[in-house]
Amino acid sequence: MPEPSATPMNFAFAGPGPARANGRSVAVIGAGPSGLAAAGFLACLGYRVDVYDKLPKPGGLMVFGIPAERIPAGRIAQGVETLANHYGVSFHPCTKVCDRRQVDDTGDEFSTRCIDLDELVRGHDAVMLATGSWKPRRLNVPGEDLRGVYTGLAFLFPIRAAQYDRSRMSEINVAGKNVVVIGAGFSAIDVAHGALGQGAARVSMLYRRTRREAPCGSHEIELFEAAGGQWLELVTPVSILGEHGQVEGIECIQCHLGEPDEDGRRRAVPDSCAKMVLPADIVVGAIGETASPPFAERLGLESVRKNEIHWLQMTQMEGVFVAGDALSGPSKIGKAVYSGLRAAQSLSRWLTLKGINREFEYREEPPITREDLR
Amino acid sequence: MAPDETMTNVDETILFIDYSRCIGCESCESACRFIHGQARINMTRTVGGIMAPVYCRHCEAAACIKACPRGALQKGADGAVLLNPVLCAGCETKSCILACPFGGIFCTGLEDAVAKCDLCQRRRSVGMAPACVEMCPCGAMHLVTRREALALATPEYEAAHRKVMEHVRPVLAPLKRRDQE
Ligand SMILES: Cc1cc2nc3c(=O)[nH]c(=O)nc-3n(C[C@H](O)[C@H](O)[C@H](O)COP(=O)(O)OP(=O)(O)OC[C@H]3O[C@@H](n4cnc5c(N)ncnc54)[C@H](O)[C@@H]3O)c2cc1C
Repeated sequence: MPEPSATPMNFAFAGPGPARANGRSVAVIGAGPSGLAAAGFLACLGYRVDVYDKLPKPGGLMVFGIPAERIPAGRIAQGVETLANHYGVSFHPCTKVCDRRQVDDTGDEFSTRCIDLDELVRGHDAVMLATGSWKPRRLNVPGEDLRGVYTGLAFLFPIRAAQYDRSRMSEINVAGKNVVVIGAGFSAIDVAHGALGQGAARVSMLYRRTRREAPCGSHEIELFEAAGGQWLELVTPVSILGEHGQVEGIECIQCHLGEPDEDGRRRAVPDSCAKMVLPADIVVGAIGETASPPFAERLGLESVRKNEIHWLQMTQMEGVFVAGDALSGPSKIGKAVYSGLRAAQSLSRWLTLKGINREFEYREEPPITREDLR
Repeated sequence: MAPDETMTNVDETILFIDYSRCIGCESCESACRFIHGQARINMTRTVGGIMAPVYCRHCEAAACIKACPRGALQKGADGAVLLNPVLCAGCETKSCILACPFGGIFCTGLEDAVAKCDLCQRRRSVGMAPACVEMCPCGAMHLVTRREALALATPEYEAAHRKVMEHVRPVLAPLKRRDQE
């Protein structure tokens, strides 16, 4: 697609160009939008920035989750190049920052190197944790562990990742198959379109509420239907059926809309008598991911969320800050960017005031509210 | 935006968002808010769930300038519609907000009565691009002349723009300007 007069992507947009080195160094863990925005801001102020990511390319979900038709990968890559070439930011791909206790997440296949968080803390003046939210939420229905049942990210990630390294990753083969997608958010709609695009025989989306309540919006659902997909609403899965360990169908129950919940959306109430079975070769539970930063307890993320720590977005570990979906749970690129920028600003203030023993001058800053993160 | 035949100042600079490439990710709003404290470009969500930023088009014959009872809105040298916050402060009418057909002026609820885009005048005076344009991951935002914007207004853009405008301005026909009635 031609790109007339497009201004290049610039994560270091806060300043006019590279600043004189200030002699301090920061490690950013995670090269998604929040990590890149933080890295760009800190680079503008003259920090030496090292960015670590477990994946082979920077960009986070902008590159490995969201379909390429929606975000041109070249534009992100070029923004990263500017950071590396003009601002001296060092990128360390395929490097996972580890917690020995942590279970594996989607995307671990690529990391060839493991660094301990404590090592990073020792080696830098401060650390920014921007690892996103990659831990799949489970459906909590029987049959979830059958072959052919995937989470949204586990389904989408290989489509993008296979382009980088075929030996480690291949797409899930959906050609000619019957695919059922559960959920109606961004990832659900992306999975559904992905499955249609990869030649599935039939793709159905299941949602417990109606298209009016769907987080992805009714317009997206219309596009999905126009592309040949089947939209089923007011149904919720109760179990996934299969034989010999392989999924064969999904048992659903009819729902109706009840009273609004705390978000103001009407709740889905199951009608216990109305059951049905849909045949399925592949089931994708795209009901969202949860934040899974390494060292979640040690960092006291719950306290950061409640803003109980004196410095904005600093964790319980002194000098370790947190930003983006790692803090808020799944949100949006723009929210992650804002969170990264604010955390980077807070980090820089802390280092500067600490350097001259004037931390007490810190102005109490209003945290980013839940309202802001919607 | 609908640049029409009567357009005279084709070399004036404006912001142009290609809604057909926008994914509604809010990066523009975030960058703007970070730089200016109060965002001057804001997301809207249509009934159908399309998320899109609404913003000032720096109109040639700007309705907001005519509507402002305090003379707080003026055209800058390069055609940008600029707000003078000193004159604006505390205005009770909010006439500009009502007059803007694009929803591009925002109520702050603060002492500065409204917030609006100034095409990042301060940044541009030192050779930087507007913050939103630099942070758009989709390359959907352009700082261009009115003439260049015409070339960017593809049929896909027009269709996407119409969907957003039907939400911002739910009338069947475009509003007539006061001076044309
Ligand atoms: C399918 C899908 C579609 C979406 N569509 C949209 C959309 O249309 N618009 C929108 O605004 N948002 C969308 N989102 C949400 C958006 O992508 C996220 O909110 C955003 O990317 C979060 O940014 P982040 O920087 O916090 O985290 P991420 O983008 O997740 O980046 C985190 C990075 O940290 C790395 N990492 C994680 N753990 C470690 C570790 N231990 N060591 C080293 N590196 C690590 C990861 O590899 C990753 O690169 C979508 C999300 C999904 C899943």
